[in-house]
Amino acid sequence: MKLDRGRTAVQELGRGALAHEETGEFETKLMRINVGPQHPSTHGVLRLVVDLDGERIVRLTPQIGYLHTGFEKTMENRTYQQVVTYSNRMDYAHSFGHDLAYVLSAEQLVDAKVPERAQRVRVLLTELNRMASHLLFLGTGILDMGALTLFFYTMRERERIQQLFEMVTGVRMNYGYFRVGGLSYDLPEGFVEKTRAFLDDFPKMVEQYADMFAKNDIFVNRTKGIGVIPPETAIANGLTGPSLRASGIALDQRKAAPYSGYEDYDFDVPTSTAGDANARIMVRFAEFEQSAKICRQALDRLEPGPIKDPDRRISLPPRSELETSMEAVIFHFKLVTEGFHPPRAESYVATESARGELGYHLVSDGGSMPYRVKIRVPSLVNLQSLEAACIGGLFADMVVNIASIDPVMGDVDK
Amino acid sequence: MSAGPADRAGDKVAALTEALAQLGAERADQLSGAILVVPRAAIHQAAATAREHGFDLLLDVFAIDWLAYPGHPGPRFSVSYHVHSVAANERCSLRVHLDDGDALPTVTDVWPAAAFMEREVYDLFGVAFDGHPDLRKLVTPEDLEGHPLRKDFPLGESPTLFNDGRFLDPATFRAGMIGTSEGRTGWVGGARKGVVSAAPEADGKGGDA
Repeated sequence: MKLDRGRTAVQELGRGALAHEETGEFETKLMRINVGPQHPSTHGVLRLVVDLDGERIVRLTPQIGYLHTGFEKTMENRTYQQVVTYSNRMDYAHSFGHDLAYVLSAEQLVDAKVPERAQRVRVLLTELNRMASHLLFLGTGILDMGALTLFFYTMRERERIQQLFEMVTGVRMNYGYFRVGGLSYDLPEGFVEKTRAFLDDFPKMVEQYADMFAKNDIFVNRTKGIGVIPPETAIANGLTGPSLRASGIALDQRKAAPYSGYEDYDFDVPTSTAGDANARIMVRFAEFEQSAKICRQALDRLEPGPIKDPDRRISLPPRSELETSMEAVIFHFKLVTEGFHPPRAESYVATESARGELGYHLVSDGGSMPYRVKIRVPSLVNLQSLEAACIGGLFADMVVNIASIDPVMGDVDK
Repeated sequence: MSAGPADRAGDKVAALTEALAQLGAERADQLSGAILVVPRAAIHQAAATAREHGFDLLLDVFAIDWLAYPGHPGPRFSVSYHVHSVAANERCSLRVHLDDGDALPTVTDVWPAAAFMEREVYDLFGVAFDGHPDLRKLVTPEDLEGHPLRKDFPLGESPTLFNDGRFLDPATFRAGMIGTSEGRTGWVGGARKGVVSAAPEADGKGGDA
């Protein structure tokens, strides 16, 4: 039913009342409501146009693009190493995931040999970032349901992870620490001990959360059976990541096609068969433990060693060499001014970000800038499942569904 | 390290290749994985065949504008459908080449997930999809004309005129970087005086900068 824009809401209401007097029946109309883009529960600038029949949602259309920055076009005009500056700016909650996806794809193009230590550090930081991302998800998600307290606790833990990242990269957002061929520089002193201390404390904190929300009746009643996405619908709509695993499909790229040495780590992929908002939250909650497990294994296996591909055509020579070696200066100059030239090819490496499958499709034309960058962002595709989750449900539950699908708008709009 | 294409294309992809060969499809694998180039007329049928072969998860639909690709022989655009089989854990891409102005049939009836992806391609490349239920722009503003990811869409940078009369326009600057023109700085000899720019339109337009 189309909303008649010529009439005011009061006139419409009056018409309905009149019809009621004449026929003894209420004339019902669909009501179209606009949510956002500036709304605290939309986790950024997401606009939803919702058609309501009473309190029930009949149709829901996401309107996006408010954060569209044209990253793909920008990346096509930057050298391969410069792209790292941009890749982490999309999904600001899981920056390392984007960096990793990009460098893996670029390394496939140039066939870089990434040293063991660099791979361990990458896995360690990406998993810590996954925990930070899920902490943010949990805090803000439960906040949307009206529970304020947990937010402060999750932020407390996230702050410790942020401090670890600050220690390594010098910044708290948009880290840009990975490089094609390895890492920018080695880990600072004391990082391993501080990370271990955090990982030792973390299980106690997770237990605290479980007491605070997971066993809470109000939370369970608010999320159980809400926004059910059956597995067939989830796959048809292209859902990936923890939200898909909550619908009973154990698809995780870390297991399906291991990268960065994930095949050597011992971890499980938490799944649930319920497919509702509760399952989506609890699957992410269960991932804390698995990520922490991977982090501990990465720390145990962290041996001293090189952190970059020694190939001078890809990675910068160490600073010390610049003073003694003419070749090093030449390679340094070539890399900084021009960058490296991968052969003509196309590459794509699927990675598992905190939100789903993330990958960079790169097309090289032999120049020092990618000819085409296509980013397969999980949030954009996952957002298509929001309608399936919301249809037939209450309007008030829409907020729970948005929170449980966990879109990051920077990741949606690119 | 990273999983190569061989790891992700097995029996299912082989069976699909065989089935699609009847439609005139050819394999053109890349590092990114198995790619099946399908004739434009057969793309919808190829998509339906892929779905029947168990490729149930559509990961991505994306276009490439080959306009500036050195030595590219075929039509200007290509659109790729990246599909994954959840049960078999295999994946491949269907690819179709098309000229500017050509439309493709939508695959939203095969994979509903294509709704946003096709809108993105339509928005950024101007490739229309016949039969799409809601073919509108996805990310760019309503009042933006043109399709920003096309290779001939300008970046909106300002050319720079140096004090010594040397003129540098960004497009040429980058062309130097990727090796399609003389040099990245715009210098072609005459380091100190009598400077000549590598930019072809430098002479007449220098004053506009």
